[in-house]
Amino acid sequence: MTGRKPFLDALVAALAREDVVVSCLGANARLLPHMNVTVPVFALCDSMGASVPLALGIALSRPERHVIALEGDGSLLMSPNVLATAAAARPANLTIVLWVNGHYESSGGQALPAVPVDWAALARASGIASVETVGEPAGLPPALGRARGAAGPAVLVLPIAFDPAERIPPYSERPEEIRARFTL
Amino acid sequence: MSGAERIRAGLEAAGVTLAASVPDTWIGRLMTAVRASKTIRAVDVAREEEAVAVACGANLAGGRGAVLIQNAGLLNCGGILAGLVDLYRIPCFFIVSLRGDVRDPVYYHAPKGRVTAETLGAWRLPHATADRGGDLAEQVRRGVEFAAESRGPFVLLISGEDLA
Repeated sequence: MTGRKPFLDALVAALAREDVVVSCLGANARLLPHMNVTVPVFALCDSMGASVPLALGIALSRPERHVIALEGDGSLLMSPNVLATAAAARPANLTIVLWVNGHYESSGGQALPAVPVDWAALARASGIASVETVGEPAGLPPALGRARGAAGPAVLVLPIAFDPAERIPPYSERPEEIRARFTL
Repeated sequence: MSGAERIRAGLEAAGVTLAASVPDTWIGRLMTAVRASKTIRAVDVAREEEAVAVACGANLAGGRGAVLIQNAGLLNCGGILAGLVDLYRIPCFFIVSLRGDVRDPVYYHAPKGRVTAETLGAWRLPHATADRGGDLAEQVRRGVEFAAESRGPFVLLISGEDLA
């Protein structure tokens, strides 16, 4: 199983000019400011479960943009209802990228409740028609391309290796800086 | 024009583009009026915290979002009010049905009614109670503008009587 960073590198390389990224709290939010990202990014440092509905509000308001919500498995487990809400609203310009490592990484690496959630099945059962599990970073760009072409919201499930030794920088931007810089 | 229609007119006059909602009996009646709007996108969500995030997303995208929920749902929203609305200073206008006050005939809402005012104070949420004897649309418009100008929350409390 591949670690987080190769997937994040592949995602950033596959971003298009019309894209907008909303990241849940944690490693992705902390890594993205240190990468060459040329599209608007709204990174959360709190509020687990907020990235998907925040992205939904942006997607519904700006149909000419494609909004990519980065969500973690622990965060989604806290509020899986967001999948049904997104499915009901049917924005074709919303892709949810779910990072699955079975751990609450940002709070010290505690394990999620010990049950093997089938995330792709959960997304489908919540009404999301376009769902793919992407096992390797090279598969992410074409999967993102298919998600962009979907008739409704899409979910890409990324099983990633949990690495407690992974070097993740601290938050380097203050919320007010993130808010001020986020313009569409 | 009914009270619900006057509230919708206030939302429209304030430029609200999206209304995210979890219904109760009263908010459901209000949302029926909002759905008839040609300029407001009604978004049905499953939990009130989602409504806050969806409305904040609309605001970040250049629109104006509103949250229409019951006070029970507002009580669910402490975390996201602190960690999203306040932390990032995003405008967020709420219309909240105040269940359990002296005007509410349903006994099981009373515990929520007893703690709503104190919670609004503890959370430092700017708020007002709708006055259906006055200009309801203007009260709504002022609340939306307050949220926008202060880059924060504003809560307008309504009762079922306000919608008639």
